[in-house]
Amino acid sequence: MLKMGRSRALLAVLAASAAGTASAVSASASRAAGKPTLIVYSAQGYDKAVVQAFIKATGIPTKLDDNSTGPLLTQIEASKNNPNWGLLWVDGDTAFAGLDQQHLLLRGYEPMVNWTPLAKSLLPKDKSYTPTGLTAMAAVVYDSTKVSSPPSTWQQLLSPKWKGAVGMNDPSQSGPTYPFIAGMMNYLGGVAKGKQYFAKLKANGLVVNPTNGPTLQALTSGQIKLALVQSSAGVGAALGDKSLRVKYLSPATLLPGCIGIDAKAPKAEQQEAERFIQFVLSKAGQRAMQSGDPTGDSLYYPVIRGIAPLKGLPPLSSVKTQRLNPYAWGGREAAINSWFDSSIK
Amino acid sequence: MSLSSPSAGAGSAVLPGPRSRARLGRPSLGGVLQLGFWAVLLLIILLPCLAFLVLAVSPRLFEQGSSYFTLHYITGVFTGQTAVAIGNSLWVSAVASMIGVAVGFPVAWLTSRTDLPGRGLITAAMWLVLLLPSWLPSLGWVRLVQLDGVMYRVGLHLPFVTHAVLGPAGVVLVLGIRNVPFAYLAISTALAGMGQEFEDAARVHGASRLGSIRVVAPIIAPAIWSAAAIGFAEAVSDFGVAATLAYQANFQLGTYQLYTAINNFPPSFPVAASMAWLLVASVGIPLGLQARALRGRSYAVLSGRSRQVVRRRLGVRSRLLGWSAIGLFFLVALGVPAFGAISGSLLADYGGSFSLSTANYSAVLSSSVLVAPVIRSLFYGVITATVTVALGYVAARHLTRSRTRATRFLDFLLLAAVAIPSVIFAAGYIMAYNLPILSRVGIDLYQTVGLLIIAYAASSLPTNTRILVGSVSQLQASLRDAARVHGAGPVRAWLRGIAPLMSRPLIYAWLLTFTAVFLELPISQLLYAPSQPPVSVAIEDNLSNYHFGLGTAQSVVAVALALAVVVCVLGAYRLLAPRGWRQVGAGR
Repeated sequence: MLKMGRSRALLAVLAASAAGTASAVSASASRAAGKPTLIVYSAQGYDKAVVQAFIKATGIPTKLDDNSTGPLLTQIEASKNNPNWGLLWVDGDTAFAGLDQQHLLLRGYEPMVNWTPLAKSLLPKDKSYTPTGLTAMAAVVYDSTKVSSPPSTWQQLLSPKWKGAVGMNDPSQSGPTYPFIAGMMNYLGGVAKGKQYFAKLKANGLVVNPTNGPTLQALTSGQIKLALVQSSAGVGAALGDKSLRVKYLSPATLLPGCIGIDAKAPKAEQQEAERFIQFVLSKAGQRAMQSGDPTGDSLYYPVIRGIAPLKGLPPLSSVKTQRLNPYAWGGREAAINSWFDSSIK
Repeated sequence: MSLSSPSAGAGSAVLPGPRSRARLGRPSLGGVLQLGFWAVLLLIILLPCLAFLVLAVSPRLFEQGSSYFTLHYITGVFTGQTAVAIGNSLWVSAVASMIGVAVGFPVAWLTSRTDLPGRGLITAAMWLVLLLPSWLPSLGWVRLVQLDGVMYRVGLHLPFVTHAVLGPAGVVLVLGIRNVPFAYLAISTALAGMGQEFEDAARVHGASRLGSIRVVAPIIAPAIWSAAAIGFAEAVSDFGVAATLAYQANFQLGTYQLYTAINNFPPSFPVAASMAWLLVASVGIPLGLQARALRGRSYAVLSGRSRQVVRRRLGVRSRLLGWSAIGLFFLVALGVPAFGAISGSLLADYGGSFSLSTANYSAVLSSSVLVAPVIRSLFYGVITATVTVALGYVAARHLTRSRTRATRFLDFLLLAAVAIPSVIFAAGYIMAYNLPILSRVGIDLYQTVGLLIIAYAASSLPTNTRILVGSVSQLQASLRDAARVHGAGPVRAWLRGIAPLMSRPLIYAWLLTFTAVFLELPISQLLYAPSQPPVSVAIEDNLSNYHFGLGTAQSVVAVALALAVVVCVLGAYRLLAPRGWRQVGAGR
């Protein structure tokens, strides 16, 4: 019995090793045959649905590395002398600008689609990445049974009325929060003025939670009255809890979900990646995006004409939006996050 | 008593005979295996760790900076918030390690040497404490004592409790509790191997019950020191508590600072590597103390003449006292995290109200997308645990032999590897095994199941070895020699002479690795094969995409499954192992 047990374990180990080697060999073989497996690195809640729909529509073998944005970028940076990814799909264009500045993204590709004017303003000049949807950062979420007159400007958050009542995410843990902080700095006239604003917000009792989930939890449990979170998270929470409302303050910073292609991937894989992007922005792709995570990331504003956002999303037209220059603000992320970590949190 | 015996360990007592001399000209099987063992260690632990650590001084080698040599990042670690965080990590880990031994030792003694009822239950509960990811108890504590938490909702307005738990004291408490099972397992396996004769000798010479414990405790010093060292290293490398309870308390620990260095964009690997250097160096403290305490002594007490333990009969009062203390420990260690996880999984609206729903469990159990990662992780856990226990036993044998440069190096390497945070370990794996030169010769290991399992095994091996070293140090060479003298080959001699005595520690070590791998996150996140996510990645995916209830329900299901595996394995051992194997250390 014991000998058999050991033999089986050994066989299983060998099988696992063989599986690993086999997958490595098969990947190499398929690359050599001109039909590489497309590797998609994604942090989007609807990515599984889109990848399945893409495989079904095109037959292109596709594998998904579904992770948070942080680990995906860590993987890309750690493996940049021998990258393994084909596509990166996450929220926020500052990271893409950073990758582009390191020459890690394929330039010059733009899908053939009918962009909305807002989306057109987000396209990078060198066409190194493609926006696939928009969210706003930050949306103000509040409980309408407890708050009858929510604030209408960012400055009002500093008033005694909201002392100890405002909560936001930590940029070192929540990817979409840096664009919000940078957006406020951009709106207020620079980094120094932005820092002053957040220092005043802190003096007024700002509560910092790690990510959207805990900030919304602090709101529903009554610890805070106003939650500054990503619009998709706020609207998703409001769909589940009918007393919650979502409001945008002017200006709302646009946070595009973007896709970029690995500059070092084999040509055939890059072509498959281009087909993937084209598919994502097709009607079938948009259907998959909107059905994949209906109470989370699917609550985005489409970037192509003729596609309506899901019900429950407040219209963006009622509020002034701003677009951050990702190339200017991307390089400041580490320094501003460190400042937030030491001075505001 | 053989405490001052010149025999330094199991493998050094047999002098080479004529046959051995005749073989000197060609490499022996043992020599080849030993060489293979060292090669495996160098490849799976040293190479990836070095690859990452070299980054601290030579970022350009891995395209992570412009300098081929710089001390800029190393010196930077000793300033500002980073220095404070590292200092916090060191003292917190030292106290947590002491708590682990202070609680683990008496519990191990009670279950190994007395007739306290429910001993099996205690062991099972210890396993449960061990297999909980460290963020779960932290989350439970936060939900319990935060300003709008359960404590206040039920009318207990105790701000000083909130202040204490959401601060350094709470961090030390949670990490200390986490260390208890390590100490318990290491010490109870060592106690199982220590025959009755030592206590009898002490009692015959007039020692009281407490006095006899004082006399025999030094005999299991290797296990106690191992428990303390591993507790320190585990605490210093922990990220779950650093990112939850310590974060909420605004009490920064080294691993969190390291995480922010990697999680920023662009990530600063050289800064993270410099901090990892410091964490690795810090394990020199417990190792140095351990070496100083154990120098020149032998702890080989388990032989063919070891007497079966006679369990001490406890009176009603002692039983009540023992169970009250142990019950309180488990209430804190298991009750709080269970509350955190289960309450989170039963609430459908971000935990804001107390309206309960089983919708999250229904979703988890009815979706193949949610179930497949659980099955995958079960498979990964079984393979990894089997490989790791084999390697861990060999490593433990090396460590208990006479101290040479090689064993000292092995000792440091294994403990230093415990102190390296998993995220660093995984990044090191990418850098070491994703080199362009490997791809050019057709070896693409990065993001394959094979490399993931190797990394799991490498990260588990140090802890596994530490758990086994206490028991292996008790084995006398005479056990194997006796079988060899009677004509048994090396394998048969091991099976007849050693396996009966080591079966229980090996089973425990297997379970320890299995449970650790089953819910492991940082390595899984960076190395998993695309489209084949392990359960921890799937849970994290739900948590980060606002599906908090679904993620916590999946965690509860996963923990329940892991516990079921523990129960099945221990049950199978009880049913299938020969009676003699189970009687070692079982007592009468």
